[in-house]
Order: sequence, then C-alpha cells, then structure tokens
Amino acid sequence: MANRFELPNLGIGLGLRTKHYSTILEQKPAVDWFEILSENYMRTAGRPLDYLDQIADSYPVVMHGVSLSIGSSDPLDRQYLTELKALRERAKARWVSDHLCWTGVAGKNTHDLLPLPYTEEALAHVVGRVRAVQDFLGAPLALENPSSYAEFAGDSMREWEFLGRLAEEADCALLLDVNNVYVSSKNHGFDPLTYLNALPFDRVVQCHVAGHTDHGTHIIDSHIGPVIEPVWQLLAVAHRRCAGVPVLLEWDAEIPSFEDTHAEALRARDFIGAVA
Amino acid sequence: MNREATADALGLHERASATPERTGASPRAALGSAPAWTEGKLAFRAQQEWFAAIVSTPQDEPAPVDERSAARLITASATLSSLERIDIYRRGYHARLIECLVDDYPVLQHALGEERFETVCRGYIARRPSNAPSLNYFGRHMADFCRALPLAEAGFAAALASLEWAIVLAIHAPTATAIGFEALGGVPSERWPGARFRVNPSLAILRLEYPANAYLQAYRLGKPSAVPAPRPINVAVYRTGRSVWRLELEPTMVTLVESLAEGSTLEAGLAQVQTMLVHESEQEIAQKVAHCFQHSVSSGLFSELLL
Repeated sequence: MANRFELPNLGIGLGLRTKHYSTILEQKPAVDWFEILSENYMRTAGRPLDYLDQIADSYPVVMHGVSLSIGSSDPLDRQYLTELKALRERAKARWVSDHLCWTGVAGKNTHDLLPLPYTEEALAHVVGRVRAVQDFLGAPLALENPSSYAEFAGDSMREWEFLGRLAEEADCALLLDVNNVYVSSKNHGFDPLTYLNALPFDRVVQCHVAGHTDHGTHIIDSHIGPVIEPVWQLLAVAHRRCAGVPVLLEWDAEIPSFEDTHAEALRARDFIGAVA
Repeated sequence: MNREATADALGLHERASATPERTGASPRAALGSAPAWTEGKLAFRAQQEWFAAIVSTPQDEPAPVDERSAARLITASATLSSLERIDIYRRGYHARLIECLVDDYPVLQHALGEERFETVCRGYIARRPSNAPSLNYFGRHMADFCRALPLAEAGFAAALASLEWAIVLAIHAPTATAIGFEALGGVPSERWPGARFRVNPSLAILRLEYPANAYLQAYRLGKPSAVPAPRPINVAVYRTGRSVWRLELEPTMVTLVESLAEGSTLEAGLAQVQTMLVHESEQEIAQKVAHCFQHSVSSGLFSELLL
C-alpha cells in the first residue's frame, strides 16, 4: 500500500473489451485485473451486465469513465453519479476513475475529452466538483491526466501544476497515464520528466500505458498498436516513484487477440520489475 | 417460420477514452465566417460553449471562427495553427459518433454504401447531437431520420434501421429465461383458459413495409441482395440468454402475442386469433390456433406462466 488511499497494487491489468469476452469467460486466463469503461455498462439492463457480472465474479475490477465531465460548467449530473455508484457496487469495483477534462456543455455531450484552461478559476471549479463527487461516492476518485491537442492562451499554469494542486486541494487520487504524458509533451513541447517530477506520487493509484499514432505534426492518443519504448521508460520512472502501483494497458483500435493483448501488457514487467 | 439468430456480435463496441480517427474525414480546418468573439476575455462557461460550438460544427461546413479568433483562445504549436489544433477535436467528435452509428447499423451501412452512410451519419449527428453520458441510445432516431431522407430507398432504409435498432434494444433489455413446454406439462387442463403469460421483456414486434429481415439475413450469410421492393412483414426481435433472435410472424401470431402481452388470458388471446380465421374450417382453425400457441412457446417468446 504505497499510496495514501491504501488502494491495493493489483498488478498488471487489461482494459476489458467485448472482443475478448469469450476468451475470458471460456478460458479464464490468468489476468491480475480488468478495467471496465463505466459507460458501457450504464443505461443498460441486458447483455453487457451479464458479461460484467461473470467477469467481476472471477477478477478484480476497476471502473474507468469518460463522461463524468468533471470540468464542465454544467451542473454535475446527479443521475449519472447515482448510476455510477450503483455500478461500482454491482461490479465490486476497487476504485473509480475518470479524466481531467470536460465532455460537454449546455446539456450536450461531445463524448470527447475536451481540454480545460489551466487557470485559478478552472482549478477552483474542478476542486469543488471533485469534492462533491467523492462525497457522493463515499470513496476517492482517481483523475487521469488527458492527452491534449490544444492549450489555452489564458493558461496561468502548466498541466502538471494544475493536476498536482487539484489532487492536493480536492484530496483526490490520480491515475497517471504515461502515454498521455508522452503524447501531450510532443504536442505541446515540454519535457515529460518535468511533468512526472512535479506530481504528488503518493496520490497515484494506477498507471496507464497505450499505443498512439504519430502524424508528424502532432500525436493522436489512438490506443492503437504496441506501447513504444519511450512510454515504457516513462512507466519505469513513474513506477519507481510510486513504489508499486497497478499498471493497465489500453488497446482500443485494431484490437488483437486476447493472448497478444495480454502479452503486450505483460511487457510492463520488464520496466517495473527492474525498478521495483 | 424459422427464427434467425443475431448472435454473432458479443456486444456493442466500446466507447473508449482513445481519440478516434477516421480515414476520409475532412482534414481541412475550414476558414469560416465572421468570428463570434472579437473583443475582451471569454468567461469560463463561454469558453466551453465557444469550443463546443466549433467542435460540433459539421466538417463539411466552414468553422464558425477564423484563425485570428481561434488564436485568442487557443495557442498555436510549433507545427499547427490554433484552428488546426481545435480541428483535431472536431474530427475526433465526428469520428467517434460515426463509429457508434456504424456499430449500431452495419447492415444499413452496407445497404447505402460506406460513403453515403457516412453522409447520413454526419447529417444525423448535426440533427440529433448526444445529450446523454452513455452512447448506448445515441442512434435511436435513425429510422425516423432515414424516413425523411431525400433518397429513393428512404423507406427501405427506415425499415432496416428499425430492425437494427430493435436488435440494439434487445441487447440492452433485461435478460430473461424463456419457458418451454416442460414448464407447461404439469398445468391442469382446467387452468389453461385463465392462464396468462409474461412475454420476454426484450420482445419487440415490428411492422415493416419492406422485407428488411430477409435482407439482413442475406447480409449475415454473406449473400448480399439488392434493395427489395416493398412487402409488409412482421418481425419479432428478442433475446434469450446471450442470443438475439429475429422471427418473422404471421398476423395470427402477432395478434396472440400482443394480446397476451397486454395481459389477456390464453382463452381470450386464442379467441382473438380465431376471429381472424374466417375462411377456414373448424378443424383448420383448431390446427392453426394450436400451432400459433405452440410456435410462440417453442420460439421462446414467453418468460413466465401466471396461473
């Protein structure tokens, strides 16, 4: 229990994807844990929950959301939070995470992780909402650093400072996506180690790794393909600072077989084992 | 009347945190009309409304701001202008929602062709933006949207969309176990007239103007067919366990199942069926009524017997 929330180091996990349902249920492969995309199991009473129930009976599950919209200027969606809490209980989820972003405004949802201005006003806004969400859930929320493609002209601080202050002031946990750090560092021209050096690692409860697509002029966080070496190296640095934190591979496009996906996730051993 | 499984898809595709990309999506950051914002600072909420308005602008329309306005809010990078950076989100927004509609309507995509379907999707996204945290029901208006399209095959597209949407709804409906004849064997004969049935909670009975079910089945079998001529059909779409089924129904079976679904007793339901068989002999009526009930049971349309 290296983090201040005493959340367990679950080991090396995989993002649960429908393509792999059959293999998981039929072969019960030795996977440390699965991360589910919360919204795929919300607003449904049917087959997705049937699969989830079976998988949650056999594996530790963590919830990862994309629609909390913690940075939106719209009011918090109480119905969404109620459903999120119910799903957490149903899946016996070890913790709940979402992204430092906003996904919609004026009642519309873009379903994209839109960037926030990093200002004192935005910080105060998000701190208040994170506290409200944690009070509602009765549990710490882990917020993930997003991949971003735009920065605001009015920013008064960098993302790592915003994230660190947010975590301290809202007393929340962090999900550190080292691929996102890498992607944003290339898109915005900063040193990823500067980012990592500024984080309060006692609040990091989970790390993400993933592949991405380099377009030359910018990098897209596509979750395609294997994790590149520099991202693994960032994981090694982060993992050393955390002294034991669960790692999860996200692979969301052109998803290979379960065996190949799991093998890619297990490559993390080469980078966390050396520094553990 | 064979029921046909729609069990090849294990579930709907993920709504992931990745940024989707779509080949063929417009790569241009269109320079557009007069900027909505030219002076002063935008408040936090106004910034979000401004950003969302640009992101959700259809990609075949000019961006609602020019480069100069975009630069007031978003900095340029070493390689991309402010508007080009915002346009990454704009492309991602449309790509994600198109992917969602492709997941829900693969056969409609086949029927219209990929390019025309994408045009339909872009129109749909502009007309029916999402207002829910989950994308599970984002595509629910597609049949109505198709019906209003200025296409020769708009009616067929609407019928096909209705059928594919019913499959999506069956996936998300509560899971129920179908009752079989073994559950009925022990019912005393005097209880039958007053027996009621609870229909499978996922059941939807569609009345379509086109033979969309045959078209969908041909597609699934890898034998694509031409857009068919109008021919009314009734199709039951429902799920037992993990399998979604499609079953074309005779009018008598529609009457029986809908009557029982409304709470009628078996006696009352079968009596309604009898009134439809005005040209048959008593023996034929008895056979058809019996067949109608037996086929409903064997197809798994009922989930509970209420005595």
